[in-house]
Amino acid sequence: MSGLILLPIFLPMIAGIGMLVSSASAKWKKAPDLSAEGLRKLHILAITVLAVSAVLALWTAWSGDVSFTLFYLMKDIPIFFHIDDVGRVFVTVISIIWVVICIYSFVYMKHEGEERRFFGFYLVVYGVLVALVFSGNLVTMYLFYEMMTLTSMPLVLHNGSREAIMAALKYLFYSMCGAYLGLFGIFFLYKYCSSLTFTPGGTLDMALVSGNQGIVLAAVFAMLIGFGVKAGMLPLHAWLPTAHPVAPSPASAALSGIIVKSGVLAVIRTVYYIVGPDFIRGTWVQTAWMVLTLLTVFMGSMLAFREPVFKKRLAYSTVSQVSYILFGLSALSPAAMTGALLHVVFHAFIKCTLFLTAGIFIFQCGKTRVEELNGIGKEMPKTLWCYTFASLALIGIPPTSGFISKWYLAQGALEANIGVFRWIGPVVLLISALLTAGYLLPVTMNGFFPAKGTEQTEWKKQEPPYLMLLPLVFLAAMAVLLGVFPNPLIRYFSQIASTVL
Amino acid sequence: MNAAIFAVVVLLPILAGVLIPLLPFRNRTAMMIYIEAAVLINSVLVFTALLHRPEDAFVLFRFTGNLSISFRLDGLGTVFAGIVSALWPLATLYAFEYMKHENHEKIFFMFYTITYGVTLGIALSEDIVTMYCFYEMLTLVTLPLILHTLTREAVLASRTYLYYSLGGAAFAFIGMVFILSYGTTSNFVPGGVLDIARLGDHTNRLLIVYVLCFCGFSVKAAMFPFSGWLPKAGVAPTPVTALLHAVAVVKAGAFTVMRVTYYSFGTDFLRGTWAQYVVMALVVFTIVYGCSRALKETHLKRRLAWSTVSNLSYILFGVVMMTPLGLVGALSHMIFHAVMKICSFFCAGAVIYKTGRNYIHELNGFGRKMPKVFIIFTISGMALMGVPGLCGFISKWNLVKAAVDSKNPLAYAGIAALLVSALLTAIYMLSISVRAFFPGRDFDYSTIQDVEDPNWMMMLPLVIFVIAMFCFGLHSAPVIRGLESIAALM
Repeated sequence: MSGLILLPIFLPMIAGIGMLVSSASAKWKKAPDLSAEGLRKLHILAITVLAVSAVLALWTAWSGDVSFTLFYLMKDIPIFFHIDDVGRVFVTVISIIWVVICIYSFVYMKHEGEERRFFGFYLVVYGVLVALVFSGNLVTMYLFYEMMTLTSMPLVLHNGSREAIMAALKYLFYSMCGAYLGLFGIFFLYKYCSSLTFTPGGTLDMALVSGNQGIVLAAVFAMLIGFGVKAGMLPLHAWLPTAHPVAPSPASAALSGIIVKSGVLAVIRTVYYIVGPDFIRGTWVQTAWMVLTLLTVFMGSMLAFREPVFKKRLAYSTVSQVSYILFGLSALSPAAMTGALLHVVFHAFIKCTLFLTAGIFIFQCGKTRVEELNGIGKEMPKTLWCYTFASLALIGIPPTSGFISKWYLAQGALEANIGVFRWIGPVVLLISALLTAGYLLPVTMNGFFPAKGTEQTEWKKQEPPYLMLLPLVFLAAMAVLLGVFPNPLIRYFSQIASTVL
Repeated sequence: MNAAIFAVVVLLPILAGVLIPLLPFRNRTAMMIYIEAAVLINSVLVFTALLHRPEDAFVLFRFTGNLSISFRLDGLGTVFAGIVSALWPLATLYAFEYMKHENHEKIFFMFYTITYGVTLGIALSEDIVTMYCFYEMLTLVTLPLILHTLTREAVLASRTYLYYSLGGAAFAFIGMVFILSYGTTSNFVPGGVLDIARLGDHTNRLLIVYVLCFCGFSVKAAMFPFSGWLPKAGVAPTPVTALLHAVAVVKAGAFTVMRVTYYSFGTDFLRGTWAQYVVMALVVFTIVYGCSRALKETHLKRRLAWSTVSNLSYILFGVVMMTPLGLVGALSHMIFHAVMKICSFFCAGAVIYKTGRNYIHELNGFGRKMPKVFIIFTISGMALMGVPGLCGFISKWNLVKAAVDSKNPLAYAGIAALLVSALLTAIYMLSISVRAFFPGRDFDYSTIQDVEDPNWMMMLPLVIFVIAMFCFGLHSAPVIRGLESIAALM
């Protein structure tokens, strides 16, 4: 029965590989592009496979703690899957968003072309992500972490322009660099931990560690920096604003909303499930980590503020927002961790909404720069309303979702025993929130109320097709509603936080 | 089983090789069948010997006193002989197709087959004298293979190879003489043969000799600063670069280093001395140096050759840890790197053979035209990077496990070097794959109309190597257990 856990992992991978093979063989035979009929079949196949896998994934995840050992990679290192509370949270968010973005891509990808390749890799990445979330030990996680990098890279370079290819290579090499830093830490933890299986509170063997604290701390720090690469943390964040914007918009949304969270997941697993928060509390590692996250929060917002290209602005915003989450994790207090997990969920919905909006602007009128968006609200009011609600949520205006997570983050920082960061943290978060308002809201304002002197006076309605609009509305609604009814989430997350802290 | 089989497997390929230019073959196919049969029979014999493991030694002849040419099979020899005899028939098959358009085929195959015997001679030697003799012979029989094309470049490359190797052998000779005079026996004994009583206050002298000897033997393993010959030797036909310069010759270098370190000088004598630090520093530097040069290189085969330089130093890194675990790591990388690198070289060879393109910037869009070759190339690249699930990860894991265990600060630096090197490997291998599969939107495929996958004689070895990479990567336990039993003797 527990073998069922493999289905949502391998089903999308196999279907995806099938699409890739058919895409390659079509090119081989120089077959013409897909007909409308073929395209429809492809869409139905993609969404069916995805929906079935998502349902299976959620069903296995929520039907209890399941463990499954696939095989032994090395003598004492199994490829081992285990679903726990954190895994459930991540898999739920990933599944919902992946299905929604898939629907959106049906229309959007028409103007990018090469649909078989896109949906092929899109499905494969879903399988890999589910596997990553279900991983029960550090080596299994590392395996799927690397696979995720390799399989998501083709999404970045999809349009095949020179810029996209260079961005994809940058993404690849930064991610590899991060993965190897992580691996460096794993090597040492293998020696100093009683096992590499994720256990709430950590598995560090204190008898072995005593006398070697220095090297273990260095190893943990290497892992934080390494896994922080995917989460866009300083100092290895530079790939993110390059790679996310050049991808097709649905892929940008998936990358920015979900894939960056895999870095967060890896950090959670390392700190709370392997090393144990008590080991790094009060050490230089915690201090350095907090400094880096706060710097990233601030710097990301500043860069977003002065960025004129819309998607790039959103990418910088991701850099900043994901470090909110990492800051919450670094404070090592229950409330801050609750806030971090809340922000994982909320940011996923919000950032996807924003990127999908950017996609609609590109798809409908080819506008990529912020100053071109004057009066866009007159042309597509529904889209811009969705954008506005998501923006408000990201800034953290009550009663939207962002407010709840930031409240918990700030409260957690205040109650944590982290010295001067107790107040520096909330202050930085506040400044960043102001900056967030500064870089998101002008689009709304100029969109609905175009500045005087704009020559255009006639606005023709050009709302996107429903297949694009409905996913957007759904995501924006989630971004708001989760803030209005946050209690189940808060309860669940505080319970997670209390088991590991 | 009689120990004479050792002499048979060493001499049979040498004899079969010498006969190639003398026999009147009716046509090329007849020659191909003859060579492949000889190689295959020899490999079967080797594997029978490996499985039955005759315990006693076989003395071919005695020079004088205790100096003799004699063979014996032990664990370390099993690993090396196993690698070589598994790969040789496949490489020969590949060579038939590759050499179709080259001249002097008979001479080429003569030396190619002789080399098989000589390499086995190194693997099976019982004592340091035998090993030294075959080591020198290896230089001489592989020289004509580099010289093969007779271009000016080839002549220069073979000259460089000769100077480096002979110079290295001279240093190795010093080591041999000291082992003979300070050791209890010239045979290889796990744990070393140095006679502590005779050592007296000559410890430092012996350590200097060890460093010289290490450097001498590791010339073939292309350690910095003796790595210059390997990339130059890339002018040789690809079967040579793939089999000899990624496996047989260079691993003979690593193998001899293992022999002198673990079986002659002994790790108890060396561990913790300045000599260990000196050689480890050289090795760690080479790991990064090789990769950086690979990154800079635009010639496909030379890039792979620099990658070999770096990877061979992974093996040496395991060796200079001077712990049993280190030896396990070194041996596992010796096996796995053989498979990965020969595979990537064969892919490069397929490209050169089918299209005549030599430089990386010419490979744009090849992924669509030669999909099989480039998928396999990508897999071998990922294995070299150490993606889990492929064999490279296992050996890297074992090497690092040993390094963490040794508590040697320089070994910690070595771990960092391994990971830097893994990153550089990702860059220099995957950038080729990305170029091949994603040449860009505006790429004009009509410029590479002539490009296509090679025939089965080239594809079969590649497919076998890919399967091996996955098998070793997913189920390495039996191999590692075998290696651990070898290292347990230390």
